[in-house]
This record gives sequence, C-alpha cells and structure tokens, in this order.
Amino acid sequence: MMDEFEKYINENRAEFDQHKADRSKMWAAIESELDASKPKVIPLWRSRKWRIAAAVIAVFGLFAALTLINRPDSFSGEDQIVSKELLEIDMYYQNLVSAQVQLVQNHPQLSVEDKEEFLAFMDELDEEYEILKLEMSKNLDNERVLEAIVSNYKKRIELIENLLRQINESKKSNDEDVYIL
Amino acid sequence: MESNITYRHRDLVEKSKSGDRASQYKLYELYVDAMYNISMRMLGIKEDAEDVVQDSFVDAFKRLDSFRYESTFGSWLKRIVINKSINYAKLKQIPVTSLDQHSYHLKEIKEETVEKPRHMDINRIKKAITLLPNGYRQIISLYLIEGYDHVEISEVLDISVSTSKSQYHRAKRKLIELVNEL
Repeated sequence: MMDEFEKYINENRAEFDQHKADRSKMWAAIESELDASKPKVIPLWRSRKWRIAAAVIAVFGLFAALTLINRPDSFSGEDQIVSKELLEIDMYYQNLVSAQVQLVQNHPQLSVEDKEEFLAFMDELDEEYEILKLEMSKNLDNERVLEAIVSNYKKRIELIENLLRQINESKKSNDEDVYIL
Repeated sequence: MESNITYRHRDLVEKSKSGDRASQYKLYELYVDAMYNISMRMLGIKEDAEDVVQDSFVDAFKRLDSFRYESTFGSWLKRIVINKSINYAKLKQIPVTSLDQHSYHLKEIKEETVEKPRHMDINRIKKAITLLPNGYRQIISLYLIEGYDHVEISEVLDISVSTSKSQYHRAKRKLIELVNEL
C-alpha cells in the first residue's frame, strides 16, 4: 500500500515530465540510423508465406526478362538455341509455380472459397499467358504482345498480394481472439 | 475497452512495421517527449538521455515485427528505454544500485523511525529527487513515477524482489530526509 507521500508523488507524476526533447535533431539521428541498415529484407524471409511470394515474384521477373531477351529479330540459329533454353527454363519454372499453387491449396489458414477464387484466377491468367506466348512466336506486333505479357505478370503479382493480405488479416483476427480469451 | 487501449495507434504501428517512414515519425512525435523524460530521470544528463532515446527508437522500429500487442506500444517502448538507460548507466559506471555502502549505517535505523515529510510540495520533491544518488533516484522513479511494481523493477535492475523492496525503502527514507532539509 502506498502512503500519503507516495500517493502524492504518484498523482503528480505528470509534473516530472518537465523536459522537452530536441525533436528534429534526434529524429535526424534516428532516420540516418534506419537508412544505414536496411533491415526490412531479412525478416521477410523468416515467414514461409513471404518466402513463397518472393519466390513466385522472382520467377515472374525472370520470366519477363527472358521473354524480353528472346526477341524474334535475332539470327534464327541463335534463336533456336535461346528457344530451347527458354523451353527448359519454362518447364522448370512451371513446375515451381505449380508447386507454389499446391502450397496455397494446402494452406491451413485459407478458406475453400478463397483458394478456389485464387486458383481460378490463376488458371485464367495461365490461359492468357499461353495465348500471348503463341502470338509472340508468330512474331506479331511484338511491343503490344510484350506489354500484354507484362500486364499478365502484374495481375499475378497483384493476385498473390491480395491473397497474402487475406492471410495476414485472418491471422490478425486470430491473434485478437487469443487476446480476448 | 482493454483491447482498445492495447491496440492504441495500431494503424501507425502496422504501417511502421512495413517500414513506412511517415508513420514511424508520427509514432516518434507522439512518444519522444515521454521517453526523453524517462531517460532523463534515469540518467540525469541531457546528452546521455538523447543517445539512449535515439537508440531506443531505432531499436524499436527494427524490432517492431516482434511487437504483438501484448501491451500498449507505449509501454513496450518505455521498457526498451528503461532497459537501455540502465545499461547505459552500467556502461558509464554510474552505480545503478549504489546502495551497499549505505546499507551499513542505514541498517541501524529502525523501521519505525521513518520520518514523515514536513511538506507536501511537488516542487520541493522534484528538487530533492534530483539530489538523490543515482541508484536511489532510479528506483524511486521506477516505482513512483513509471509505476513499475517490485517484480518489474527486479527484472529491469537484475536484482531480487526483496532487494528491490528494501532498496526502495532506503531511497524513500533518503528522499524524505532531503525534502525536509530543503
């Protein structure tokens, strides 16, 4: 139990906040310290779903780069080699993507509807991608086809981002439940 | 209600987690004065307190991922500031618990002889607190101003709960003495 003296101090504790911090000076120091160490990258890899997302996005990025490299106006011999290489890489990454999709399918925190919606949309984008790849090999208006392919990638990334947000939100509400209990 | 308080500034905290500098600045603005005052009470030197508070904010923003709303952001941050202040004091060899040498003659004073302050005057008390030896000032601040209990103080100062209690009582007795002398 607090006696009168202790209570008096405790009730007047706001009186002890008498100093004013030099805000701008201190913030400048904090900001430069935060800028110096870019810590955000490291913790992301600790979480499995971020790892999945990063892998998928990296795959799309590589894909886009390879598609850009593989412009059909080069020599036909070289072209063949590049196409063969592309084919191999294509197969490899398709396996990887389908593995990721499988992971999403097996994710315990996702509802069935969410999964279906996600996978249906993914299939749609796959089809679109196939058509675009076909047009690419027909050597049609390359710039426009490329733009379409890029937007196809963008949609996939957006889709994954949405999914991640949903996972995060459901996780947060789980945390709240735990807290209330 | 309780969860509303715990989730105070949740928006800012969440955005800060993802590295949003504007949100981090808003949190900083909200808490910097309070944190600076806490550190000043622990350390008593402007430059030291500034160093500790800067370091605490940097650390807090870097470790924000581990903040899970088990307490308010403010008390989480406050704990970082207090821990860092205590460590800083130790590093600078400012005695955190400088009380051993006092304990010999203080032991002879009987518990019943605890004086009562002759004045309930907050300004006098404020002055007296600044005159306390560092260790006394820290434990008085932690208990009466920061509102930590003896279990929390024992964790922060790395001492036992009973040591925290006995040292607090010595510090309080010294404080009353000083108030009466002023």
